Amino acid sequence: MTNADSQRVQRNLTALIEFSRIINTSLDLNFTLNNLLFSCFGKFLTTKGFVALYSGDELNIAASKGLPHDFPDKLPDVTDTATRVSNGISSFLKDHHFEITEVIESSRKKLGIIALGEKINKAPYSDEEKEFLKIILNLAATSIENSQFIEELKVLNRQLDGRLNSLSSLFELSKEFSALVDEGRISKLLIYSLLGNFMMSGYAVIYCDDRRLRILESTYPKAVLMSTIEGRSAVSINRIMQGREIFDIFPGLESFAVSLCIPMQVQGESRGYMVLGPRINKSDYSEKDREFIYSVGGLAINALENKRLFKEALEKQKMEEELQIAKEIQKNLLPKFLPQIPEIEFAADSIPSKQIGGDYYDILQTGDSLYTVAVGDVSGKGVPAALLMANLQAFLKVTAKQNLPIEEATGLINNLITENTSDGRFITFFWLILDADEKNLQYVNAGHNPPLFIRNGKISHLDKGGIIFGVAPTMIPYIAEDVSLQKDDLIVLFTDGVTEAKNPDDDEYSDERFESLILRHASSGADEIMKVIKDDLREFVKATPQSDDITVVILKVR
Amino acid sequence: MAEFNAGITETGNVQVIELSGFLDAHTAPRLENTFNELLTRQQYRVVVNFRNLKYISSAGLGVFMAFIETMRGNGGDIKLTEMQPNVYNIFDLLGFPLLYEIFPTQQEGIQKFNQSSEK
Repeated sequence: MTNADSQRVQRNLTALIEFSRIINTSLDLNFTLNNLLFSCFGKFLTTKGFVALYSGDELNIAASKGLPHDFPDKLPDVTDTATRVSNGISSFLKDHHFEITEVIESSRKKLGIIALGEKINKAPYSDEEKEFLKIILNLAATSIENSQFIEELKVLNRQLDGRLNSLSSLFELSKEFSALVDEGRISKLLIYSLLGNFMMSGYAVIYCDDRRLRILESTYPKAVLMSTIEGRSAVSINRIMQGREIFDIFPGLESFAVSLCIPMQVQGESRGYMVLGPRINKSDYSEKDREFIYSVGGLAINALENKRLFKEALEKQKMEEELQIAKEIQKNLLPKFLPQIPEIEFAADSIPSKQIGGDYYDILQTGDSLYTVAVGDVSGKGVPAALLMANLQAFLKVTAKQNLPIEEATGLINNLITENTSDGRFITFFWLILDADEKNLQYVNAGHNPPLFIRNGKISHLDKGGIIFGVAPTMIPYIAEDVSLQKDDLIVLFTDGVTEAKNPDDDEYSDERFESLILRHASSGADEIMKVIKDDLREFVKATPQSDDITVVILKVR
Repeated sequence: MAEFNAGITETGNVQVIELSGFLDAHTAPRLENTFNELLTRQQYRVVVNFRNLKYISSAGLGVFMAFIETMRGNGGDIKLTEMQPNVYNIFDLLGFPLLYEIFPTQQEGIQKFNQSSEK
């Protein structure tokens, strides 16, 4: 080897070591490629060149120097699998005065090519220079591959960041949703979270509680939206829908920009859904995006449902407390003991319905041998009915002691009741004043179910009187009727809860059944008849819950 | 829980919202109120300074989305400035730089408004 030769080899080696050292200090792909080009330029004294790397099957220019502005970004189609560059690209490179091209290849795969222009002295590339290029490309290949790994890792990392962000969003929302009590706030938060994640151009949140559709949030005109979604239950929106599928179900949405329709489900059942417009940055909703939206929607709907159930439970509890109060009032209004006298046998009972129907009865002693017997039915239920019932009792007690003629007293009570009701409530009322010594009675019926009067196996109805209480002040006087009593006369006062009691088939107990039962047992004592009535009613209704109180008062002349 | 604050200061005809603390699902309604206040006052040129914001979640980002169209529709904008890297990362991750102008300093954000109003 000549001295000059060994010097050249020495120089080459130094250049290689220098190059290797530099490109391995950085994982930045651009830095590596730039260095590769500069090293080649310096070594071969050339002024233009580029590196193109494979992305899939496509070769794209990744770094270049000294290329004319009009040089295409894309290289002609290169599908060669050979190590040598294909003919197609060779002629393209020749045309653009690239003197030499070489494949860049790692031990695992082909990475791309490098192409270099003519040397400045127009001399061809020597074999030794070609060999040098191969060595330098070998060194570069490792570095390029490493940089590409890093790029891929960065992409993966970013995807991971995205997933992490989604997860922390879900976590944060689930915490926040459960703390929110206000429906409006829940739907707002849902929208903010979706806006923050997806920047959709339009949206609507539809919630279905108690089979009623409501639009909680919407950027679309609400009236148009409502007319579009009306008549389709939320339950039928049971899967994520995109594009055309949405318009097949909601043709009206076609006029809006809508890309997604995602159900909001509680335990697999849709209780609402979200309609979302396209994203402002024009990118599509990925499958992960759709899953995320579905999850967030699930969180929101669960929160909404929980609030609703909680509210319902509260209202139910409140109602039950109220009913308990009404029950107490009613219980305290009814007489605890019935008069025990030789002339007349009394029996009375009232079975309150669950909602407290407002039945009232009373048996008062209002003179030495005078007894007042009354039955009333206040319209409405619950506490308001019970309070009006209490008023009625108070008025009755006061009036009964005035010893007024019964028709006049009735008019007075009606006036008092009318003054004390404002919300359309009324009372049907029947009362009688009985003189046990004289064996006669006087009654007035103010619109109540006519009590049955049974003598010698025949029923007549005590229906004389006038208008129900509470509708208008007394203009037309009530009419009273006198009835003189005989031994074994039977009088049965009752409320419509008896004759309108329902069986499991929703049939009514009926006046006919009641009257025929009474006739069959008219000869029995008052307590016995009461027992028979209750037994027959029980047999008829079975376990059917009754919507009205059931009240019966029986007088039997001894 | 984490502190959050959104204070408005007026600089010329630009409203600067200075954020601090944690902007998440819990505190997002407070920022919403701040924006609503600006709308009531018909102030649509907004620069948000994130210097002291430690954390932002997607619900917090959603608030910016909810108001951007109204601001722009009224000839204004929301410009974002002085974000900490971790906060910027979330904005970047969710693609906000495409839609919002983001500046390193509050001053640049304000200047941008003034430049465009001179034209």
